[in-house]
Amino acid sequence: MPTSPHHQQQLGVFCSGLLATRPSTSCSRTTRTSCSPNTRRPLSTTPVAAVSPATPTNNRQISNQTGNASGSGSSTHNEGRTQSKKRIPLTAAQREFLSSALRVNQAGELAATLIYTAQTPPVVSREPHLRPLMRHMYEQEAAHLSAFNALIAKHRVRPTALYPVWSLLASGLGWTTGVMGREAAMACTEAVETEIGDHYNAQIRRLLEMVTEWETQGYEVGGEFKDLIVTLRRIRDEELEHLDHAVEHDAKKAEPYWLLTGVIRAGCRGAIWVSERV
Amino acid sequence: MQKRSDATGVLPLLSQWWSVFAVNGPISVPEFWVVSSAGAPRLLSPRRPLLSRARLCRTANGSGPAHHRSRTYHSYDHPAPAGPFNEAEEAILVAAYRQVPEHGFSPEALAIGAREAGYLDISTNLLADGPFSLIRWHLVKQREALAARKTVLFPDGATSNNKPVSVSAKVEALTWERLLGNVDIVGRWQEALAIMAQPSYVPESLKELATLADEILFLAGDVAVDPTWYTKRASLSAIYVGADLFMTTDQSPGFQHTRMFLRRRLTEATDVGNAAGSVWEWVSFTASAGINMLRSKGMRI
Repeated sequence: MPTSPHHQQQLGVFCSGLLATRPSTSCSRTTRTSCSPNTRRPLSTTPVAAVSPATPTNNRQISNQTGNASGSGSSTHNEGRTQSKKRIPLTAAQREFLSSALRVNQAGELAATLIYTAQTPPVVSREPHLRPLMRHMYEQEAAHLSAFNALIAKHRVRPTALYPVWSLLASGLGWTTGVMGREAAMACTEAVETEIGDHYNAQIRRLLEMVTEWETQGYEVGGEFKDLIVTLRRIRDEELEHLDHAVEHDAKKAEPYWLLTGVIRAGCRGAIWVSERV
Repeated sequence: MQKRSDATGVLPLLSQWWSVFAVNGPISVPEFWVVSSAGAPRLLSPRRPLLSRARLCRTANGSGPAHHRSRTYHSYDHPAPAGPFNEAEEAILVAAYRQVPEHGFSPEALAIGAREAGYLDISTNLLADGPFSLIRWHLVKQREALAARKTVLFPDGATSNNKPVSVSAKVEALTWERLLGNVDIVGRWQEALAIMAQPSYVPESLKELATLADEILFLAGDVAVDPTWYTKRASLSAIYVGADLFMTTDQSPGFQHTRMFLRRRLTEATDVGNAAGSVWEWVSFTASAGINMLRSKGMRI
């Protein structure tokens, strides 16, 4: 996986530990400026392609390079650090968490694309000016879905067994709210994206805890996880952008707003809970 | 076979199980099946006095050492630690595995293996599952060998005539490659299948089968992550078991009949999959055409 300049820019965020779980981009931007990336820089500039087929010897070479590149302390100290500076295998619990996280994310994005697909015709036939917005949101969701599909296939995670159920429910939800009108459709988007935003934040928080723990113990963090966190952050921000769009387009005027959003949010939480397991 | 006569209780039930898998020819009943009327496993081999107790303990928690290797997140940058076997187990199993063609998947093979590896006979108690550990060793090692075979079978990029190999062709080649891994011990494989069919080993055997199907499809480069993920793995597992059983009775040179059997089954599965896909495509096309027609008539749906 190539590290784009955008990714490298974001990587500085890791060293300041547990942070930026707030749903705003500005937050992560401030922390990026506040942390000093000196010690960690070799990690982010290590070409990921060279690391990927991580054999033990290969690992040691790379960690040696990073140890020398950071170049601080006496040689013995440095020696000790290069010894410990390697990658730690994931624990069973961590692998379990990552599988269920990717599985539920894929299911969620699948549902989101289907909701927008089903909503678009009824909504757009009444309010043609919403066509670009609906298309924009759909395209972003489709990109998220393909991102998670690729991740699931790459990391050999089992997709959710309830795939057909989620497809049916999501299409039904999208179509129903679409037929109910623009406000209901937007209230549906608002409810879904609120839950999804919280959900992604919880995942990012957990991942950052993992990464921080490795770093404090002196282990190296693989590019895989840095990329994953960057991807999750980007997707979360885009989902929250949809939330803003929905509120701008009168989501709050839906009748009955409290019932619609309450039911949909409860449904989302239930679906997330189930998808994490099945 | 003389030992079989003093068996009571569980044996009739087990032999029914076993007869499902015993396709042809006489097979000696593995001696650890013999259970005394008191219900506790009885010792028959004087060399290995603690084994039965060890197995008894093991069934309490019902999980072998291989259980931690489940199909969860596969990390490339933080790879999982090596397989389920520790150093001593590996040494014994490597040596014991060499005895399999002669002694079968049996306590004898394990005992000889332990001796050859420089351990006492009693150290086979490390392997709480007895002969099943030897079977597990075979299954895991053969599965892990597939990854290396893949690079030989499909060198990077394309084949010699520059045409990329299709996923289904890769699945067939890899499945065949895995079946060839049984050639050395094929004469003993029915015994192994009988042991794997014992109720306490069925879950792990099925899990290993599922892992194998997953491995083959992953190595073949299949990236489908929709419901076909399940159907593909299920059908490949079924086909593999069928071919595996077929192979134990195949007398043709180079197991050509097994190869043709495998090819036919895979073609059938592909045909069924294509048919189901076509039906689904027709249904969804008709449904969306109908909805669009109603919309064109002015219905707000």
